[in-house]
Amino acid sequence: MYPRLPHVTGYLTEHVAEDDFVTLEGYRARGGWLAAERALREMSPEDVVDQVTASGLQGRGGAGFPTGQKWSFMPSDPDGPSYLVCNADESEPGSFKDRLLLERAPHKVLEGILIGAFATRAEKTFVYVRGEYSRAADVFESAVEECRTAGILGRNALGSGFGHDVVVTRGAGAYICGEETGLLESLEGRKGMPRKKPPYPAQVGAFGRPTTVNNVETLAHVPHIVANGPEWFRGLGTEESPGTTLFGVSGHVSRPGLYELPLGTRLDEIVFEHAGGVPGGRKVKAVIPGGLSMPALPAGQLDVPMANESLRERGTFLGTGGIIVMDDTTCMVRVACVTTWFFRDESCGQCTQCREGTGWLHKLCERIERGAGEDADLDVLRDVSASMEGQTICAFADAAAWPVQGFLRHFREDFEAHVRLAKCPFPASFEL
Amino acid sequence: MPTITVDGRQVRVEEGRTILQALDDAGLLMDGVDVPHYCWHPGLAVDGSCRLCQVEVEGLGGLQIACNTPVADGMVVHTTSDRVRDARAGVMELLLVNHPLDCPICDQAGECKLQDYAFEYGAAGARTREPRRALQKRVPLGPTIVLDQERCILCRRCVRFCREVTGTGELGIANRGDRSVIETFPGVELDNPYSMNVADICPVGALTTRDFRFKVRVWFLEERPGICTGCARGCNVWLGVAHGEVQRYTARRNDRVNGSWICDAGRLSYREIAAPDRLRTPLVRGEDGVLRSAELDVALDAATRRLRELIDAKGPGMLAALASAHLTNEDLAALRRLLDRLGVDAAGLTLVMGEGDDLLVHPEKGANAAGARAAGFGDPAPILERLRGGGLEGLIVLGHDLLHPTLLGSPDALDDLATLIVLDTHRSELERVADVVIPGRHLAEKGGTLVNAEGVVQEVAAAVEPPFPATAQAEVLDRLAEALAPRLAQAGGDG
Ligand SMILES: Cc1cc2nc3c(=O)[nH]c(=O)nc-3n(C[C@H](O)[C@H](O)[C@H](O)COP(=O)(O)O)c2cc1C
Ligand code: SF4
Ligand code: SF4
Ligand code: SF4
Ligand code: FES
Repeated sequence: MYPRLPHVTGYLTEHVAEDDFVTLEGYRARGGWLAAERALREMSPEDVVDQVTASGLQGRGGAGFPTGQKWSFMPSDPDGPSYLVCNADESEPGSFKDRLLLERAPHKVLEGILIGAFATRAEKTFVYVRGEYSRAADVFESAVEECRTAGILGRNALGSGFGHDVVVTRGAGAYICGEETGLLESLEGRKGMPRKKPPYPAQVGAFGRPTTVNNVETLAHVPHIVANGPEWFRGLGTEESPGTTLFGVSGHVSRPGLYELPLGTRLDEIVFEHAGGVPGGRKVKAVIPGGLSMPALPAGQLDVPMANESLRERGTFLGTGGIIVMDDTTCMVRVACVTTWFFRDESCGQCTQCREGTGWLHKLCERIERGAGEDADLDVLRDVSASMEGQTICAFADAAAWPVQGFLRHFREDFEAHVRLAKCPFPASFEL
Repeated sequence: MPTITVDGRQVRVEEGRTILQALDDAGLLMDGVDVPHYCWHPGLAVDGSCRLCQVEVEGLGGLQIACNTPVADGMVVHTTSDRVRDARAGVMELLLVNHPLDCPICDQAGECKLQDYAFEYGAAGARTREPRRALQKRVPLGPTIVLDQERCILCRRCVRFCREVTGTGELGIANRGDRSVIETFPGVELDNPYSMNVADICPVGALTTRDFRFKVRVWFLEERPGICTGCARGCNVWLGVAHGEVQRYTARRNDRVNGSWICDAGRLSYREIAAPDRLRTPLVRGEDGVLRSAELDVALDAATRRLRELIDAKGPGMLAALASAHLTNEDLAALRRLLDRLGVDAAGLTLVMGEGDDLLVHPEKGANAAGARAAGFGDPAPILERLRGGGLEGLIVLGHDLLHPTLLGSPDALDDLATLIVLDTHRSELERVADVVIPGRHLAEKGGTLVNAEGVVQEVAAAVEPPFPATAQAEVLDRLAEALAPRLAQAGGDG
C-alpha cells in the first residue's frame, strides 16, 4: 500500500488510496474529467474566472493570493501565447502535500490545469516538479501521455476546440526555484534567481509571455469548484478562507502525516486530536503552523483556527499548512540554528539584506547556541531580521526573517538562558 | 510629460522611466537628490538587487526601490524620511558584515562607493563579531583585470556589462547566498576589447586594472575632462593627473558620444602622452645633412627660409600640405590660414583606417577626422600620387600617419623633396628625410575643439603641461604664417 496516505480525507483526497485512481480510466470511473468537459465546452473563460473568484479560493502555495483574481490579470486578447505554470517544486520544510496529489491524483491536478489554462487562455502548461520528486514526475508524465492519447490534451482538447499541451520539467534542487519568478528563470534554463517586479508574470512571465503560476493543490481544487459550484465551496472552511486544505503534520506527534480538513480547523484539534499529540507523555513546546518560513506559536496559543485571518492575529500565517510540532525537550536556539542554516544555504544571494542577513542570523544563532552569546546579540538578531523584512526582490528574505522573529517573540527565555549560562540548557534536545 | 515631486521639488519626467532614471535624466541624481545606489548603472539594465536605492512613495505601502519603480504623474517621493534613512543604514550595515577591512591597502580607497556611502549613510560602529568570509584576494580574470573576491559586494555590474554591453558573457556568479563569488566561466578569460570598463563600474576595490593597480593613490589624482584621440568616436575620458603626468584614463559619461564606456585600446592610449618616443625638441637638418636639435626660433627660421625659397623659385603650386586627423579644429584653422597665405591649394588629410566595431570603436583612427574634412582637408590621394611621381617640391606634414602602409608606407618617396617640414608629437621615420621637425602638443596638453564621427562638436581644455618645451600646433603654424607674411605681401600674396 502507498505509504503516505492521508489520515483524514476530503474531496481532494477521497480516492487516493485506490491504485487505479492514477489512471485515466480509474479517474474517469470516479467522475473525473467531467468538470473540464463542462468548462471547456459550455463555459467561457470569463465564466470560469468568475466562478473561481466567487468561490473565494486562495492559493495554496504559501501566499494565499485569491486565485480568481490572479487569473483575471491575464490578458484576454493576447498578442501571442500565454502560459500556465503549475508549481510543483514543494520545498518548504514541513510541507509534503503536493507530492501526494502528484503521485496519487495526477489526473485531478491535470484537470485543474486544463480548466485553469482555459480560463487564462494559456496554450501550454509547464509543470515544474521538484528535482527530488522523481517518482511524482514519472507518474505525472504518464498521466499527461494518457491524456494526449485520449485527446484530452492536444490541439482540440476534449473536443472543445481549445488547444493545450502540458510539459513536465524537473528542478535541480533549490528551494528558491519554488518562488514563482525563480521558477521561471530556472524553467528557462538559467540559475534560479527571482526576478524583480514589475514586470509581474501576468505581463512578462515564462519566455517573456504572460504567465500564471499556481500551486499544485490550488489547481486540484478547481475541478471541484467547477463541478459543485462556488456556493458549495464556500460552505466549507471559513468565510474568508473557504474550502479544505491538506495539512501536513510532522515533528513530535504520534501520527505524523497528511490531514485534509476544512480551513479554520483549530490548530490544537489538528495536533492533539488528529495527530495524537506528543508521544511519551511529554508536552508541546512550540508549533510552526505553516512550514518553516512561518513564525512558531507557543503551546499556549494553539487555540487558533487555521486560516490566515485568524493566524495573522497571532503574528503568523497559514503558509503551506505544514505543521511542525516540537516537544518540551526542544532547544529553540537549536531550532533557530537549523532554520537560519536552511535559509542561509538556500538564499539565492542577489539581495544584500537576504544574502548577508541570512548568514549573519545563522552565525549569531550558532554563537548563542555555543554559549558565546551576549545580551546585545538578541537585539542584533531582532534588528537584522527587521532589516531583511519587506525590502527584497522576493519573499524569501521575509521567510528567513519571520521565524527568527517568532522564536525571539515567544521563546526569548531560551536565548537568554544560553547567554546567562554560557551553554545550551537543553541537553536532551535534538543534535545539531 | 508627467511630473513627480521628489522631496518637495517638482521634476518633469519622461513616461516609462523609473524614479532613479528620471532623476538621472534630470541631472539631479546625487547632485540635488541623493539616492545612493550600487547595482543601478545608467549604461546597464535595471537589476534591483542591492536594495540600497529605497525611497518612500506616497500611496505605495512600504519602501520602493527607486531604480525599478516606474514614475507616474503626480507621484510623491521622499528620499530623506526616517524610514528611508533606517533602511539605507540597514543595507549598509549588512554590506559591511563580510567586507574585509582593507581600506589602507585597497586601490579603490578614496574613490570607493562603499567608503563614501558608509560614511554618509551608515552607522558609526560595527556590530558584527562574526568571522568575515575569507576568499581569494588576487584572481587574475584575464589579461587586464584582477579580482579581489572579498571586496566584492555582488552588485553584478561587471557580470551584466559582459552580458549586456559586450555580449561576451565571460563572468558569472558561482554558488549562492553568502557563498556567492564572481568568477569567469571555466576555461574562459575576461578578455574583450572593452574589458577594463568593469573596473570603472565596480563600485568597490574588487576589480582593478593591471595597468593602474597600485600605481598612485587616487587622492593624489586630479581628474580632468578630456577626449580620447584613438578614433573618430571621440570618447570622453577623465584624465587622472598626478605629479604633472596623466596616470590613467577612465570613461567619462557622455550619452551622446560614448555612453559610459571606452575601449581598452583607447583607455591605454594615455601612455602616448608621456611616451618615450615623444618628440622633445625641434630638429633642423644642417648643411652637412645631419639632423640636429635646435631652439624653436631657429627651427621656425629654417622652415620659413626654406618655404620662402621654394615658393620664390617654383611658386606655391609645387608645395602641398597634409593635415592629420589628430589635430584640433584650432590647429586645422591655423594650417588653413598658413596655406591661404602661401597660396597653396594642394592639401589633404592623412587618415589611418582600421578596424571598427558596432559598439564604439570607429574605423577612422583619429579623433577629428570629421573636423579635418569640414576644414577642407580631404582625400590625400592626388598628393600621394604626386609625391610618388616626383611631382612636388615641398611638403608640410602634420603627424606621421602618412607612413601608414595604407598611405605612403615608407618615407622613401619623400627623399626627392626639396623641403619637408614636419610638425608632430611623436618621433617617426619622417626624421630620416625631414628638413625641419617641430614638436607639437598632444591634445591633453593643449585642449581644443574636435568633431566626432557623428558630427558632435566637443571642446576640452588642456589638462597637463608637456614635460618639455612644446608648442601647440596652431601656434607654430601661426608663427610660420606671420614670419612668411611680410615677404609674401610684398610679392602680392593676400597679406
Ligand atoms: C522562497 C519561496 C519559495 C516558494 N516555494 C513554493 C513552492 O515550492 N511551491 C509553491 O507552490 N509555491 C511556492 N512559493 C510561492 C510561489 O511564489 C507562488 O506564490 C505560488 O506558486 C503561487 O501559487 P498559488 O497562487 O496557487 O498559491 C514560494 C515562495 C517563496 C517566496
Ligand atoms: S530575497 Fe533572497 S532569495 Fe529572494 S531574490 Fe533576494 S536574495 Fe534571492
Ligand atoms: S566585482 Fe565589483 S562590479 Fe562585479 S559584482 Fe563585485 S562589486 Fe560589483
Ligand atoms: S572607441 Fe575610439 S575614442 Fe573611444 S576609447 Fe576607443 S579609441 Fe578612444
Ligand atoms: S540601485 Fe536600486 S536596487 Fe540597487
